[in-house]
Amino acid sequence: MSTSQAIYAGWMEIPNSAVDELARTQAEEATLAALVSQYSGTLYRVAYSVLRNPSDAEDAVQEAFLRVLRHRDTLDEVRDQRVWLIRIVWNIVLDRKRRAKTRPETDDVAELARVLPCGGLSAEQIASAAQHHAHVLSCVGKLPAKEREVLHLSAFEELTGVEIAQVLGITESSVRSRLFRARNLMADLLNHSRSLR
Amino acid sequence: MNSPSQNASAHNSISGVAAGDVSSPAETTLRLIAKLPAPEGIEDRVMAGVKAAPRGARVLHWPEVLQPAGGWMRGAAAAAIVFVVAGGGWGIYTHVQPTQPARVIALPPRAGGAGGFSSAGAMRTPQTLNGPVVGQPTTAKDGTAQPVEVKPVKKATAPMKHGRLRAVARGSASGQPGVSAVK
Repeated sequence: MSTSQAIYAGWMEIPNSAVDELARTQAEEATLAALVSQYSGTLYRVAYSVLRNPSDAEDAVQEAFLRVLRHRDTLDEVRDQRVWLIRIVWNIVLDRKRRAKTRPETDDVAELARVLPCGGLSAEQIASAAQHHAHVLSCVGKLPAKEREVLHLSAFEELTGVEIAQVLGITESSVRSRLFRARNLMADLLNHSRSLR
Repeated sequence: MNSPSQNASAHNSISGVAAGDVSSPAETTLRLIAKLPAPEGIEDRVMAGVKAAPRGARVLHWPEVLQPAGGWMRGAAAAAIVFVVAGGGWGIYTHVQPTQPARVIALPPRAGGAGGFSSAGAMRTPQTLNGPVVGQPTTAKDGTAQPVEVKPVKKATAPMKHGRLRAVARGSASGQPGVSAVK
């Protein structure tokens, strides 16, 4: 006898607590759907900026929302849901990037050159822009992890210094100093490569 | 393509707050990447994936009939468990006798002799002495006793009593069968 048959037969009753739980589940699903529709684009862009692969970025977003679902009981305690979600997806992305270290960087760069907007440019300009972006990204990859992370997050206009600090779990002054160091290192790297040419 | 100066003035992020070197090519490239739009329908795909994920196990409630208000069934079940455990322990305690401590300490056999050959279970038997066999005294037809020929002792490794030898020698010298008692 299945559960529904048992309920209809009358010897198994649905208590009030079960009804409450059903309503609670529906409310949670509605909250989650709102979060997905509101922040999945932002989370995708954060994930894509590090992973540089559309399917990997989408997987990371989905995993982030699965983690939210797993910790849905603590959802009410979160102050800034946007920063909280970005922090979750940031940790997932870093973990995936660390695991997929064997993947050649050139594949990502080629994919990026194809995706980046280049309206109104000739074919030669597109090729030279793609080469430039690839060179810059290779220099970014040579930065120390702490400086690179701050530089990645600072590219997102919707994130303030305080929010970057919250995502990385550091103070705002640390964010500033790391960003300053990252810019100096990047300038050195680019100047060095330019002098080699 | 947006210029870095436009980006810096447009937003309130940390990149605009920092020093005047905002227009680094690295940040331009990273900003371009950060501005890439998300693919179409990502919300639906993510939501479908979240819904398809397995949820946690749900607990079926007891029917109201079997769920008394006082909760005495739980107490009864706990008491039954305690009774079974205690009874089992008492049964084991009463049926199992405490074992006597061993009085003899069994030593392990010594591996090999102390630098010699073993006897391999053989027992030493002392060599027995084969005494001299003396024949019956023969009587000659003329009534005179004939001297008895004494057979030599085959193995005489063990020392013999001097008295016996003396008696035999005496008998042989006198020609009388005085040693017949030695049999």
